[in-house]
Amino acid sequence: MEKILSYIPQLLPYLSVTFEYVGLSLLFGTILALILLAMKLCRFRVVRAVAYGYTTVMRCTPSVILLFIVFYGLPSLLQAWLGVNIQNADAVLFVVATFTLFLGGSVSEVIRAAYLSIDHGQCEAALCVGLSKRQAILRIVAPQAFYLMLPNLCNTLQFLLKEGSLGYIIGLVDITGKAFLLNSNTMSAYVLQIYLALSLIYWPLSIAIEQGFKALERRFSYEAAPVRAADEPAVETEAISARFAKSGEAA
Amino acid sequence: MKIDLSTILSVFIQALSGVPLTLEMTIVPFAIACALGFPMAIVNVKRVPVASHLFKVFISFMRGTPIIVQIFLIYNSMPALINGFCTAAGIDINVFAINPVIYAITAFSLSETAILAEAFRAALNTVDKGQIEAAECVGLTGLRAYTRIVIPQALGSSIPVLGNAVCDLIKTTSLAFSMAILDVTGIAKVQGAASLDYIDAYIAVFLVYLILVLLFENLFALADKRLNAGRRPLQVTR
Repeated sequence: MEKILSYIPQLLPYLSVTFEYVGLSLLFGTILALILLAMKLCRFRVVRAVAYGYTTVMRCTPSVILLFIVFYGLPSLLQAWLGVNIQNADAVLFVVATFTLFLGGSVSEVIRAAYLSIDHGQCEAALCVGLSKRQAILRIVAPQAFYLMLPNLCNTLQFLLKEGSLGYIIGLVDITGKAFLLNSNTMSAYVLQIYLALSLIYWPLSIAIEQGFKALERRFSYEAAPVRAADEPAVETEAISARFAKSGEAA
Repeated sequence: MKIDLSTILSVFIQALSGVPLTLEMTIVPFAIACALGFPMAIVNVKRVPVASHLFKVFISFMRGTPIIVQIFLIYNSMPALINGFCTAAGIDINVFAINPVIYAITAFSLSETAILAEAFRAALNTVDKGQIEAAECVGLTGLRAYTRIVIPQALGSSIPVLGNAVCDLIKTTSLAFSMAILDVTGIAKVQGAASLDYIDAYIAVFLVYLILVLLFENLFALADKRLNAGRRPLQVTR
């Protein structure tokens, strides 16, 4: 037990690498997802088919396989096309590239599903009361779609955190990679202690993500508070809901 | 970058010989997980004291840690456990002769149990509470109301989720190579190392997984269509 606890501080500094690939993959993945979303809503059938086909292929690929394909394929691809040599690039680059490809597919589906589940009548109603098309989307559709996306985004983030641990296979030293190295250095004498320490880092992180998203869901729930834009200050929201609670009591 | 089609084809054919093992590591854990996960879900829905709390911790741990870490833990602790158990029971056994597929199946079963327990719990909750009350009103006992009214509906609505779970499991079995198992991925790794042509080898396996997952996805879609005709399917989240 003491041994387990002694390994946790040795692993914790490498958490920054884990956060690095989670953050970067999420950023680039969302950008790719928006491009794919635009393709899925495009008029041309071929463009739509490409975007949907890409999503299906990504859904069917195991993370390790894509990681290997990117790790072995990307350097020679860039060498041949752009003449750039990334043979000796940091392993984190390949992990970010892999999960960007994955997230592009899944996040575009998440956004699309949320966007489509907002009743089109709401958009029309917004236009009727005099909002511009831009305002209707930003103020009416987007906040509600964002709320609907939250559970799936939570899953995506947890997927990223957990599957990212596979980076150790291509030599990435994040917390899993460090645990792998520590295990090799000690000739597997403390293998259970090391990996238990590792799981004791991942576990609270996953729970934190889950709870964080639950809190966001409560905040953005339009049943608790009236629909409002995502950029409205949070303090005001609390004031509004407090007022609602009070009037409820008075009634 | 050059892609050699003949290498891809030859690795593809060799990787096909790993498909039965991949399916074994998918179907056996899935069956075990169904058998364990369903009672677990009922215990959690009924909020049985102590047991439901223990199960919740188990589910949270299994869903909160990477599967590769769970594999490391099981692969490194099970041989010692089996050895200790057999020595205590007086059975002579060579733990090093045990097929690592056993460890893989154990690891996948445990993590899948947690996933399915949550899936079944969500499915059971989709059945309106009023239906149980109605069933009791017309004279069914509590158990009967469950087995006749709630469970059939819950199972029907959980088919899309189960389909997703199977497809995820097929993909997860690709991690069995870390236990020196020669499944589809393991064969690709060996072939890639032998020919130093990794990229072609992995493209070939990628195709094998693509076909396998699409096959199961369509099977479950078909089952869903047949069984849930006219019924609204449960929202699948990912």
